[in-house]
Amino acid sequence: MRKSAGSLGAALPLLLLLLISPAAPASETSLALKGATVYPATGPKVENATILVAGGKIAAFGTDVKIPSDAAIVDLTGKVVIPGLIDIHSHLGFFDSDINEFPQPIGPENRALDALYLDSPDWADAVTGGVVTLITGPGSGERIGGQSITIKTYGADLQKRIIKEAGEVKMALNARNLSHVQAIRSSLLKAREYMETWDRYEAGDKKEPPPKRDLGLEALVRVLKGEERVRCHIHFANDMLAFLKLKDEFGFGLTFEHSTEAYKVADEIAKRGVGCVCLPLVMRIPLGEDLMRGNAILEKAGVKIALHTDHPVTQEKWLRLCAVMSMRYGLSEEAALKSITINPAELAMIDSRVGSIETGKDADLVVLNGPWQELQSRVDQVFVDGVLAYDRARDEKAI
Amino acid sequence: MNDKHKRSLGAFLALAVLAFLAEPSLAAEKAIAIKGGTVLTMTGKTIPNGVVLIKGEKIQAVGSDVQIPAEAEIIDATGKYVMPGIVDAMTYFGVRPFDLNDQTNPVTPQNRVIQAYYPFGQFMRGKGGIEPDKEILSGGVTTVYIAPGDRQVIGGQGAVVKTCGRDFDSLVLREPAAIDMAIGDPPKAAFGEAQKSPVTRMTIAALIRKSLIDAQEYDRGQKAYDAKPEAERKKAPRPPRDLGMEALAKLLNREIPARVESDLVDDLRTAIRIAAEFKFDLVIDSGLTAYFLKDILAQKKIPVVLGPTSHPFVSGGEVSSTPELLRVMDERNAAILSKAGVKIAIASYGFGFGGFGDAVQGKWLLLEAALATGFDLPEEEALKAITINPAQILGVDARVGSLEPGKDADVIVLDGYPLNVKTWVERVFVSGEPVYVKK
Repeated sequence: MRKSAGSLGAALPLLLLLLISPAAPASETSLALKGATVYPATGPKVENATILVAGGKIAAFGTDVKIPSDAAIVDLTGKVVIPGLIDIHSHLGFFDSDINEFPQPIGPENRALDALYLDSPDWADAVTGGVVTLITGPGSGERIGGQSITIKTYGADLQKRIIKEAGEVKMALNARNLSHVQAIRSSLLKAREYMETWDRYEAGDKKEPPPKRDLGLEALVRVLKGEERVRCHIHFANDMLAFLKLKDEFGFGLTFEHSTEAYKVADEIAKRGVGCVCLPLVMRIPLGEDLMRGNAILEKAGVKIALHTDHPVTQEKWLRLCAVMSMRYGLSEEAALKSITINPAELAMIDSRVGSIETGKDADLVVLNGPWQELQSRVDQVFVDGVLAYDRARDEKAI
Repeated sequence: MNDKHKRSLGAFLALAVLAFLAEPSLAAEKAIAIKGGTVLTMTGKTIPNGVVLIKGEKIQAVGSDVQIPAEAEIIDATGKYVMPGIVDAMTYFGVRPFDLNDQTNPVTPQNRVIQAYYPFGQFMRGKGGIEPDKEILSGGVTTVYIAPGDRQVIGGQGAVVKTCGRDFDSLVLREPAAIDMAIGDPPKAAFGEAQKSPVTRMTIAALIRKSLIDAQEYDRGQKAYDAKPEAERKKAPRPPRDLGMEALAKLLNREIPARVESDLVDDLRTAIRIAAEFKFDLVIDSGLTAYFLKDILAQKKIPVVLGPTSHPFVSGGEVSSTPELLRVMDERNAAILSKAGVKIAIASYGFGFGGFGDAVQGKWLLLEAALATGFDLPEEEALKAITINPAQILGVDARVGSLEPGKDADVIVLDGYPLNVKTWVERVFVSGEPVYVKK
């Protein structure tokens, strides 16, 4: 089958539009959450606030919200509300054996959705910790592992849960292997040639058949065009400098993932506006005291940071505790909350929908029984697209 | 030299020796008074504005109206909290990962982890002598149980050691302290990889029984020989000694307990069944599903050494590799067991070598206990679960685990309430020695 001349160029933006479909209204009647202390993540906390939810979205938020007469009122006096949490780096929904295609080091065409195990009990478990949006994808066993999916943890309709079906390209630099950077560089050069071949074809008279499509290179072309970012698994400071050079050469959007020694080269990272997805993984892996203070150093240098669970390394539901642990080691309260809400939303380019409590955004809300900054506080309720996805009083199993 | 002179010289020498011997102990009798803090004794009432008086290596007095000797060094703990050093009831601390398991053999009760313990800091670095690990002290941990790994069925003998001491021997609180066993997934995985028996739960249990029967026979033979009249013993040689059987005999004679790591509820039942058959003392390690058996555990007085609240999968398996456990595990495990009257400890199961930057998980044990209080464990029980309870489970509570006169002066001072994520350990004393001060 021959594809028509402009199909590839036209298909890409169209495809993205289709994938970023808006969530359907969850219910027509509105919901008023009243009386809580609300941390919207993009502004200061608001005491005794009202959040009005309608059609799955936040219809209004503040202290002087007019509550419609037909709205169902939820009294949250004494509770704390934060935005639905976002884990920007997870492997939730994968069977262990589906995370890495070890024998094939370059596989940008791989897509997370094709491996996703939607009946896993992990999804519901994530909700109990207030985690509403995940970027879950391939592992770090290859140089280029493939594309992740951006998906909500709760919802009856799979298509509505998906925010972005395929996107960011996962790469990995492991163990300072000299061949790794070069393997990635070769792939990007190949993608640039592929892009130019298509550009020439598009600009020509199109009498010849179009070039053969390559789904892996297409993914890398989107990276080169700045439509998608690269997520690079990385631990060592010198690897980071090497990868930053690669970014300088090709100009792609980038986040470092795990970012273990990012604090050692914080200024180089900040200068290029590269986001860092940071440790700790709660208390799952013992980390030295210097390293634990790394997030505070990155904050000071002006690096945008997000925290992650790397589920199943630590369980998805503990994402909030990664922020709490970072605060123990000097990260500011404001940056800590942002690192599990608006920062990952911005880094993943989904902040028009999620990541903060603002009018017009998805009604993804987490209700806690105490300060979100404390280890001991529990999630009481979670709303996803305005629907009560978890209610501890209702859902916690009786023992 | 006449006799008198001889005698006086003798007396002088004896006196000199006495004086020489007495001198270091006099110096060690230094008094330290930690005063003004909220004292959490763990076995008695909380004492606001209390004093902990240390004399030499021991605690001399604890209370609100303690007479402080004039020569005592005063540590002002006003506004701070004072409690016993943390006891981590299960670690692989100070043992290199490759020294933990002998995967060529599922049953090695003769192995003693103390012989793999390395408290001398970094290999080929350091000035000499014991080098305390600052990481573990930063968490206030003063006593740890070290175990052989969990990939064998009977891994060997564990030990209870302090994290600081003058010399190697002074570190050791109890050795052997227990026989370490594992049933269920870890040995199945280890020997499955090697395509070597045992690979089923049936054979794992059968191996434990066989080893214990061998040990019964061995113990009978040794005891029968000892009971013979001396004349007969001279005629026949003692039955050959077997170090593994000797260790298991200690278990059968209830000198030490067995620590059996198991998670699935049926594995727990197997451990309880075998302990009843052979009448030995049992400690359940990990016990993710122990809450299912809370009544039987309480009735049989079987303690449980739980893993950390935030990652209770202690055998190294990631969560998703055991989905059947994920469906039944519950963070309220500690609270439910404690409420039912089961003695629990919360332990790190942490490694001291490897990981990023030689960090030690045990330093976060206070935080893991704090997290458990979010899942209904009362605060007092959470603190006991990392102090007096593990000391009792490890059989070292005569020495450590609470602030009481006569016990070792293992004391920590914290800058706030211990179960708060923003609280830091400021000072650590081990056997009366100030071994850590937070910068």
